[in-house]
Amino acid sequence: MSIDKTTYMISDKGSLGRNAMIVGALFLVISAAGWFMDSPQFFSSYLVAYIFWLTFALGGLFFTLVNHLFGSQWNIVMRRFTEATMYSFPLLAVLFIPILFGMHDLYHWTHEDVVANDAILTAKAGYLNVTFFTIRAAVYFTIWFFISRTLYNLSLKQDKNPDDKIILRMKQISAPGMILYALTSTFAAFDWLMSLEPHWFSTIYGLYVFAGSFLAVLCFVILFGLNLRKKGYLTDIFTVEHYHDLAKLVFSFIVFWGYMSFSQYFLIWYANIPEETIWYLVRWENGWYVISLIIIFGHFVFPFLGLLLRAAKRSFAWLKFLAIWILVMHYIDMFWLIKPALSHGNGPHFNWMDFTTLIGIGGLFIWNFWNNFTSNPILPIGERRLEASSKFKV
Amino acid sequence: MSSKNIETDASLDYQVPLIRGNPTFASITESVSKVTEAKTTKEWFVLFGFFSSLTMIMIGSIGYLIWEGTGIWGLNNPVGWGWAIVNFVFWVGIGHAGTLISAVLFLFHQKWRTSINRFAEAMTIFAVICALVFPGIHVGRIWAVYYFFPIPNQMDMWPNFRSPLLWDFFAVGTYFTVSFMFWYTGLIPDLATLRDRATNKIRKLILGVAALGWRGGNKQWKHYELAYLLLAGLSTPLVLSVHSVVSTDFATSVIPGWHTTIFPPYFVAGAIFSGFAMVMTLAIIARKIYNLEHIITITHLENMNKVILLTGMMVGYSYSMEFFIAWYSGNPYESFAFVNRAFGQYAWAYWIMVSCNVIVPQIFWFRKLRRSIPVMFVASIFVNIGMWFERFVIIVTTLAKDFLPSAWDYFSPTIWDVSLMIGVFGLFFTLFLLFIKHLPMVAMAELKGVLPQADPHFGHDGHEGESK
Repeated sequence: MSIDKTTYMISDKGSLGRNAMIVGALFLVISAAGWFMDSPQFFSSYLVAYIFWLTFALGGLFFTLVNHLFGSQWNIVMRRFTEATMYSFPLLAVLFIPILFGMHDLYHWTHEDVVANDAILTAKAGYLNVTFFTIRAAVYFTIWFFISRTLYNLSLKQDKNPDDKIILRMKQISAPGMILYALTSTFAAFDWLMSLEPHWFSTIYGLYVFAGSFLAVLCFVILFGLNLRKKGYLTDIFTVEHYHDLAKLVFSFIVFWGYMSFSQYFLIWYANIPEETIWYLVRWENGWYVISLIIIFGHFVFPFLGLLLRAAKRSFAWLKFLAIWILVMHYIDMFWLIKPALSHGNGPHFNWMDFTTLIGIGGLFIWNFWNNFTSNPILPIGERRLEASSKFKV
Repeated sequence: MSSKNIETDASLDYQVPLIRGNPTFASITESVSKVTEAKTTKEWFVLFGFFSSLTMIMIGSIGYLIWEGTGIWGLNNPVGWGWAIVNFVFWVGIGHAGTLISAVLFLFHQKWRTSINRFAEAMTIFAVICALVFPGIHVGRIWAVYYFFPIPNQMDMWPNFRSPLLWDFFAVGTYFTVSFMFWYTGLIPDLATLRDRATNKIRKLILGVAALGWRGGNKQWKHYELAYLLLAGLSTPLVLSVHSVVSTDFATSVIPGWHTTIFPPYFVAGAIFSGFAMVMTLAIIARKIYNLEHIITITHLENMNKVILLTGMMVGYSYSMEFFIAWYSGNPYESFAFVNRAFGQYAWAYWIMVSCNVIVPQIFWFRKLRRSIPVMFVASIFVNIGMWFERFVIIVTTLAKDFLPSAWDYFSPTIWDVSLMIGVFGLFFTLFLLFIKHLPMVAMAELKGVLPQADPHFGHDGHEGESK
């Protein structure tokens, strides 16, 4: 792998993309065997893995949108990272198809006999039904794809034609894009995750999932940036100052995530209404309390303390460790959101299909990311503010 | 130095100077200090007379309330919390913009804040004072108000530590203390400037005491900046915590329409929203009267309008989530609470709220309207009205139709509800007028720090335009 210093194109893509695709495809084939062996297990594993990788794309979309919207400069050096991450919705839409096949195993509101004997589910049937669910999913993917493609194309156009009008255009698209993003990501969280337990509801749920997805992409950018850095790329452009600022964002979103999860837990605990507390009860009984406690300490307390000091935010080794740590916690968090709903009173256990689907979808996701990333200059070279961005100081 | 400069939209000339007219250090000192030194104008006295009369109405209303009891308000059986709590939440919310501007924007290196932060912080403190009027008096038996405080007493009686009302006491108390310290710390160098300019002995003495012996030495600045940073760090969680705790007054209950998990962030967004609107209302008037248009520029106001648009949309998001989930819950009581809000006896209040908070800010999509003083002035007042009604809708409509239809009733305010609300507005503006007259309303020392000539590289590389 090498880089052209004037065009900032990676001329030799190396084997990462190909390897990721092969591994991904292989693991998905292995997982598919599980589909025939134990389909409920397969679909629950698949959903966890799918949502985990989806959050990177959604987080990347948010990161790109918010920075266009605020006209910030510091992130320009890493804009191609988040653009390549968000431009994965076609792939993710294809990978969503198995979930449509698995709806009967995943969402018990799809069982007509259950709905018919349940007044609450009957009342919701106008929203929770297979047709509308599928249409909504199609709408979400269309919107995400459309916004991300428009922004990515504009950014690439800027490479050849550095015109200020493009900056303005990206901003103009990002404003309504942000509104669409807020609504679609919220309802996607309601549809794909919250409706696993269709009697339960929480108004903050969309924000909770959003907080995790933004953290995911921040950690992804940190890890990928450090990886390039190790190979000697962008060392004087994507500097410690940028990592410091990223770490600040990670810190604040660790707090934001903690704030969201605490608000939800605390209000439900305090009011103590059975129809709401049941959600936490199934995440406490039968050994699930271990996972719940891991999330409290691992997803909040430890990274909070670990990022308090300035030196910690500027240490590459420490940031790398923490980014991996937070991603592991993020996976556990998604596991904890989904699995207890489907485990029917069983305790937490990690099945081989959880592993194979995670690697399978992840492999294809990385392949797609790497393809996007290496097909274009790895910096937005036509961006007028690029130099200011590379000289950014915290 | 940070490169996160602000930018204006259409021109994309993002390196616009923060301050217009290329002022010098001396001219900033002059234009800010002279407001406090010049002879008090007749207009000021007229305004002061007016607002302090309103404050007298407040005092009178409180006196009668203590004499007669809370029966003088429009409270009835299901609606036991009326305007007093509406006003309390409203005023606590107003304060949030000050903290956000002073602490959060400081940590985000948003330099445009320097023109408005002093102003906004003062507003925070006065708003919290106004808010604190209500919990004290709404208890009815004012002589027992010390039951509120967790202090040892001869009856060995303690407040319920599991009650959100007690958390309110801690949250708002902390908020006031930290905001005050933050504001005062920032004032010290400016008070010293005023002291050095004072021509009369008593003024010099008072300002000298208030400036705590500030000499502007290197060491002093070093300590000052560290203290300021730490206080900013302490204030930041308060932006979230205070209104989150206020929201738990409602959300920890089991009342449909009050108990919903989005309440904490929803209240915080609403608080910032209303606070920015109030800063806007005040800043537009003050910059005009005291000729500070070159310091609080149209770009500052435009940025604030963007924040209003953004937070207005967050509030709109919360309204829609509440509504959707109320339906989605399949719980008839939840659905009823929201349908009743929108189409029941208080529908007028609900639609005032939606129009003012969600529809009106949409005009700020247009750059022209974002930069039009009359438009933003009117819009900011609408937002304040809307946010007052938001609290009214949440509190009163929810209580008026509770679980027991035979108990339903309609809340109408009495003259004493109205007089108290108007009176507290009087208190707020009275305090604000005193502040404008006697203290530097713009943070001079900080503002000088963002001028081009404060950059150590200024003039060194031959082209001065660079360091703008």
